[in-house]
Amino acid sequence: MSRTRREFLAACSRAGLSATTASLLLSCVTRRLSPPANEQPVSAAGPLEHELRIFNWSDYIAADTISRFEAESGVRVTYDTYESNEEMVAKLVAGGDGYDIVAPSGYLVPVLVEGGLLQPLDHAVLTNWPHLLPLFVNAESDRGGRYAMPYQWGTTGIACRRDLIRAVPGGWSVFSDASLRGRMTMLDDGREVLGAMLRWRGHSVNSVDAGQLRHAKRDALQVKPNLRAYLSATVKAQLVSGDVVVAQLWSGDTRQAQLEEARIEYLIPAEGSLLFTDYLAIPRAAPNRRAAHAFLNYVLRPPVAAEIAEQTGYGPTNGPAIALMAHPVAPPDARLLKRLEFQRDLGAATDLWDRLWTEVKAG
Amino acid sequence: MTRLRSRVAAALHRHPRVQATALLLPAGVWLAVFFAIPLAIMATYAFRPRHILGGVYPGWTTVHVARLVEPLYLAVLGRSVVLSLLATALALLVSYPIALVIVRSTRWRSFLLFLVVLPFWTSFLVRTYATIFLIRDTGLINQVLQAIGVTHQPLRMLYTPGAVLFGLVTGFVPFMVLPIYASLEKLDPALLEAAEVLGAPEWRRFVRVIWPLTLPGVVVGSLLVFVPSLGSFLTSDLLGGAKVELIGNLVQNQFTSARNWPFGSALSFLLLMVVMLGMLAQLRYTAAHAKGKTA
Amino acid sequence: MTRRLTAILALIGYAALLLPLLLLVAWSFNASRSGARWDGFTLDWYHRLLHRGDLLVALRTSLVVGVTATVVSTGLGTLAALALGRERSRAMGAIESMLVLPIVTPEVVAGISLLVLFSAAGVHLGLATVIIAHATFCLPFTILVVLARLRGMDRTLEDAALTLGADEITAFRRVTVPLLLPGIVAAALLAFTLSFDDFIVTFFTAGPGTSTLPLVIYGMVRRTVEPTVNALSALLVIGTTLLLVVTQRWTGRHAGEA
Repeated sequence: MSRTRREFLAACSRAGLSATTASLLLSCVTRRLSPPANEQPVSAAGPLEHELRIFNWSDYIAADTISRFEAESGVRVTYDTYESNEEMVAKLVAGGDGYDIVAPSGYLVPVLVEGGLLQPLDHAVLTNWPHLLPLFVNAESDRGGRYAMPYQWGTTGIACRRDLIRAVPGGWSVFSDASLRGRMTMLDDGREVLGAMLRWRGHSVNSVDAGQLRHAKRDALQVKPNLRAYLSATVKAQLVSGDVVVAQLWSGDTRQAQLEEARIEYLIPAEGSLLFTDYLAIPRAAPNRRAAHAFLNYVLRPPVAAEIAEQTGYGPTNGPAIALMAHPVAPPDARLLKRLEFQRDLGAATDLWDRLWTEVKAG
Repeated sequence: MTRLRSRVAAALHRHPRVQATALLLPAGVWLAVFFAIPLAIMATYAFRPRHILGGVYPGWTTVHVARLVEPLYLAVLGRSVVLSLLATALALLVSYPIALVIVRSTRWRSFLLFLVVLPFWTSFLVRTYATIFLIRDTGLINQVLQAIGVTHQPLRMLYTPGAVLFGLVTGFVPFMVLPIYASLEKLDPALLEAAEVLGAPEWRRFVRVIWPLTLPGVVVGSLLVFVPSLGSFLTSDLLGGAKVELIGNLVQNQFTSARNWPFGSALSFLLLMVVMLGMLAQLRYTAAHAKGKTA
Repeated sequence: MTRRLTAILALIGYAALLLPLLLLVAWSFNASRSGARWDGFTLDWYHRLLHRGDLLVALRTSLVVGVTATVVSTGLGTLAALALGRERSRAMGAIESMLVLPIVTPEVVAGISLLVLFSAAGVHLGLATVIIAHATFCLPFTILVVLARLRGMDRTLEDAALTLGADEITAFRRVTVPLLLPGIVAAALLAFTLSFDDFIVTFFTAGPGTSTLPLVIYGMVRRTVEPTVNALSALLVIGTTLLLVVTQRWTGRHAGEA
């Protein structure tokens, strides 16, 4: 072995040894006990704090909600955004503190509660709570809203350019239509794509059955050549321009695209699809509990909820808000609900899903 | 005060080893604290059971490392390496001429240099969107081509491997241009003059004189392009339509949607090892090259 | 023949780099929101930009982080490069390889590992943590660039200065530094560019209220493609170009020999 290599490896191993020792020491320190949630009810605790830190999805609020809240309450708001649930969770898990409000998707709420990362809501101060529709309050993510408040809802469906295709797609089977080859897209999300394939064959989007999942993977690989790409929110521009004529897309994003191109239509496939609800919740270690509750109560006001839903394109979970919207979005009726499923966390099966999605992408 | 300074400087000069250590210490300590230690922590993560929320539980397991040798993941790694090598080669093809043009110009030098770096003062994502507008089926290039009658059907440029290469290359060109430029800039013009006077044609001058002397810059530039392209994922998602899984996507996924930090760490270390092998090869090459030079 | 080939390739390179940029500037005047077609000329997006307080604050944060991280990383990197460049021992080669390791680490890993470090040490995320993270990933780049310049640099000039009676410090200041300067400047430029455009590492190390420009833009652009971002980018492009032209004129007037 040449001297160079030997020295290089020696230097590396020396560095590695000392680093391992350091890391072992540190990993003992890494177990941070989160402070116990304040047991005192919020209403009894006193005046509002001066600050509030909100961590929400980007573009998921109306332009003036924050400023109006600040003006009314005298609380100064810091507002940061993220692109995916997991980015937010990564920060919560690693103890990245400092946020008073986060916006987890429904499937994540039970997981966060179980992990002890959220604090219970004090309903005594949430006087506008009764405005929320029972459909969402009683959803399995958090029955009764003990830890999280329903914020907005949406569905995954098919957006299409009515004027550029022969017939309106009936369901997920449209993606196997070779005549539309190269002009269709699906979402760049394993749960959405495999979920759609599962629904196509009559299974649940939350299936953890290995056989069903492998079948879904095979279906996904079969339709892949017909797809132009896997695109999420970015497909809107392509729908507007007509490069893409059929796209798996969320309801809110479709509405945003429709503002620019009215000939885009949205439909829930006959085989069914998923319904998602996003929540607002308060992390366990949040320093500004009272201000957080005040904000939640503010968002529960029908005019405020209506404005938010109007600007984001998603559905309000707030009953009275619907009538106040310029373009009302009614919650799904009983008939539609039969075809929709709430998304659930996959727990240990997350690994299998991820592996299958990798196989679809790499195939 | 100045006497003390000069005496310290002289002493350091007499003891090159001490001087070298003193110079290296600040950077070394910085990287030890903010790079080595966090990385070591991540390395231990690769051997821990995964937590459902992401993160890890205490305990030890080899299940994640064992997963690395599965053909699925090795294939992804292989594909990524090939793509990155291609991107590096293309970047070199384009960056070297740019560096040459910059060095040859006297009046416009800083401006040309700045033009290379300028695109990067805008957001990468915004630039990529602009690229999409440029190359998609209803984009500017196709509109122009069809307007002047060169083509009748739109050219499919977006969501092809070519688009991904284009994105990678344009994304990393300054990393290649700057080191090559730095190398070229300090070339002794007397050498070039001598070659010219001795009758060597332009091509010969380049291959025999300029290229070997700028090799350090080329090597650095290649490294600076190869490695980040290996770890990139946004480009292949946005310009390639996310249809191909690269190692960058895989790693990113583990830390986000898959919530499998241990496997993500294991993959990262696989990636690290691949590159370290490449650098080891580079070490031997430059050592041999240096020996050859003095021979 | 080779001259022409070089020129053509360089031209292609510049075109590939700058065409999207020009399109960006043009599109910032496009009335269409999604930018799918040309809907007419408008200054609307520029007006809206003035009201986007979050974008302007983010810009300021990006500049502060960028400049600080550049100074730190270029300083540390130059010192390290000096050590590596002078001594040509095998140990130095090994150390060089290790100092350059951060380039090899995927950004996700770098970001998360720093997040874990900071939380384990009880350090609150904020401006300082972002600056530290940026300086860390810029450092190997600055080392490499200055080193590339240093290698093969004529060492005899320094020796000549010393033989002629200058002490080490003067030799360093008057001979080494000016020779090294283009490399240092290139390194600083690279470091600032990397820092200004970084997203992933910043995301994991930024605290509440310390959003940099990329963080805010990524959010905007992935959800609704709003040309306000194009307007901002166009302003940045035009602004920095003007800055450079002005600097060029100014240094041209005071030109010594480079």
